Amino acid sequence: MATLRINNLHVEVEGKEILKGVTTTISEGETVALLGPNGHGKSTLLNVIMGHPRYKITSGTIFLDDLDITNMTTDERAKAGLFLALQNPAEVPGVINSDFLRAAVNATSEEKVSTYKFYKMLDGATKELKMPFDLATRSLNEGFSGGEKKRNEILQLLLLKPKIAMLDEIDSGLDVDAIQIVADVIKKEEENGRGFLVISHYARLFDLIKPTRAIVMINGRIVLDGDTSLIKRIDQNGYEFIKTELGIEIEKEQAQMNTVSIGTCAVKESIKK
Amino acid sequence: MKKIIVRESQNFDCAPIKNEATFEIGQNENIALYLYNIEQVNSLDFEIGESSIVQLSIFAQKAINQSKITANIGKNSKITVYFADFTTEKIHLDASINLNDDEATCDWHLASLSEKNDDKVISVSMYHNHPNTHGRIDNYGVCKDQSSLVFSGISHIVKGCHQSTSHQNAKIVVFDNNCKAIAKPILKIDENDIEASHAAVVGKVSDEHIFYLTSRGLSVDEAKLLITLGYLKPILKGFNESTQQEINTLIEGRL
Repeated sequence: MATLRINNLHVEVEGKEILKGVTTTISEGETVALLGPNGHGKSTLLNVIMGHPRYKITSGTIFLDDLDITNMTTDERAKAGLFLALQNPAEVPGVINSDFLRAAVNATSEEKVSTYKFYKMLDGATKELKMPFDLATRSLNEGFSGGEKKRNEILQLLLLKPKIAMLDEIDSGLDVDAIQIVADVIKKEEENGRGFLVISHYARLFDLIKPTRAIVMINGRIVLDGDTSLIKRIDQNGYEFIKTELGIEIEKEQAQMNTVSIGTCAVKESIKK
Repeated sequence: MKKIIVRESQNFDCAPIKNEATFEIGQNENIALYLYNIEQVNSLDFEIGESSIVQLSIFAQKAINQSKITANIGKNSKITVYFADFTTEKIHLDASINLNDDEATCDWHLASLSEKNDDKVISVSMYHNHPNTHGRIDNYGVCKDQSSLVFSGISHIVKGCHQSTSHQNAKIVVFDNNCKAIAKPILKIDENDIEASHAAVVGKVSDEHIFYLTSRGLSVDEAKLLITLGYLKPILKGFNESTQQEINTLIEGRL
C-alpha cells in the first residue's frame, strides 16, 4: 500500500514562510479531508507536494513510500503516482485535449498505449463522467465552463490512475448533478485503492464521498487530525473553537485594506500613520 | 496581369505566374483553393462575387521578398484564409481584405515559424467599407534563435459601417533571448454601432501551463513542445491530408 509521508515541511514563497512545519500521512485507500480557513496554506501544501517551482522547501521531507520526492521534478512525482486536480486549471490554447491526455497517459504508463486502446479508455472515462466526447477534441480547457474544467480534471485522474490524488476544491463550479457524478467516481476509485487528499469548503462534497479522516490546517500547520465529526463541527460552527479550545490565534488572511480610496488624499492618510 | 477564373475547387501551382495574378470567383460558388509555389509572385488579387463561400489555403516554404495579397469580398460572401508560413530567411507580406458589401466576411488564420536569422514582417489589414461586414484575424507565431517576427495590421471600420464586427488576435511565443517579436494589431474605428477587439500576446511559454502539463507526467521539454505545437498546428485544418503531413513533418523537424 502506497503512503505519502510529509514530515515537518517548511515552505516559503518570495521570502514569506507559508507552511511552518506540516506533518501528516495519506495512504492508498483512504480519503482525507483537508480543511482550514482561506489563506492558511491548504492549496500551497498540495502544490508543494506536486512540486510547483514557485514554492521553495526550506526544510522537511516528502516521501512516497520509500521514495524521497522532496527534490524531484513535477513530472517525476506524477510518474511516481501523484496527481493534483487544480483549483483553476489553466487554459492552454491550441493544445488539443485528447493529444494532451494521450501524451500524459503515455508518460505515466510503463508501456506505450496504442491509439485504439487510448480511445477506448477515453470513451469509457468520458461516459463515466457523462462528459460530451467532443470536449476531448477541443483545446485544453479553452472555453470550457467551470464545471467542464473540473470534470476534465477528474477525467485525467481516471486515465492516469495515480496512487495518491489531491483534489483542490474540485466541487467549485459543479452543479448538484455533477458533484454527485464526481463523488461517485471518487468513491469508486477509493475502493480501487487510490488515496485522496481533498480540499473543499462545503460539507456537501464530504457528505457524498465520506472521508476516512479530516485534518485542519491553521497558520501553515496541521493543528487537528481526527475523524469526520470535525467536518460537521466546522460546517456548523466555523473555526472559532480552535481558538477557544486549542488556544491558537487564527491569523487573518490578508493585511487590512488600505484606508486610502477614491475621495481621500493619500498623502494626508500617510501623514496620519 | 494574369486573370484566372475559378469555377471549381483546385490545387493551383503559382510558379508559372510571373508577377501578379487575379483570381475571379463569381456568384453562388463554394470553392476551396489551395495555392503553392507562391514565392515568386508579387501580387495576388482575389475578386469574390455575391453569395460565395471560399476557402483559400496557402502553404509558403521559400523566402518571399515582397508580396501583396488583396481580396475584394462581395455581398453575403465569406472567405476563410489559412496561411501556413514556413518560409525560410524572409517574408514580407502585406495582405488587405476589403469587405465591400452587406455580410461580406473574412476569417484570416496565419501560423508562422520564425527561426535562425529569419526576417519576417506580416501585415494583415481588414477594411470594413460597408455596414454589416465581419472580419477576424488570428495570427499565431513561434519565434526562435536570432530571428525577427512582426505581426501588424489595421482593422478599419469606416464611418457609417454600423453593425460591423472586427476582431484581431496576435500571439507570439518567444523561445530565445536574442530573438525579436512584435505584435501590434491596430483598430481604427470611425463608427459607434460596431463590435471590435484586438489582443496582442508576446512572451515565453507560461510557467503555469508548464506546471500543469508536467503535473501529468510530461517533461518540461515535452510540455514546451506540446504548447508550441498548439500555436502552429491549428492551421492544419485548412489543408488536405497530404499537405497536413508535410507541414507536420516540417514543424516537428524544426522545433
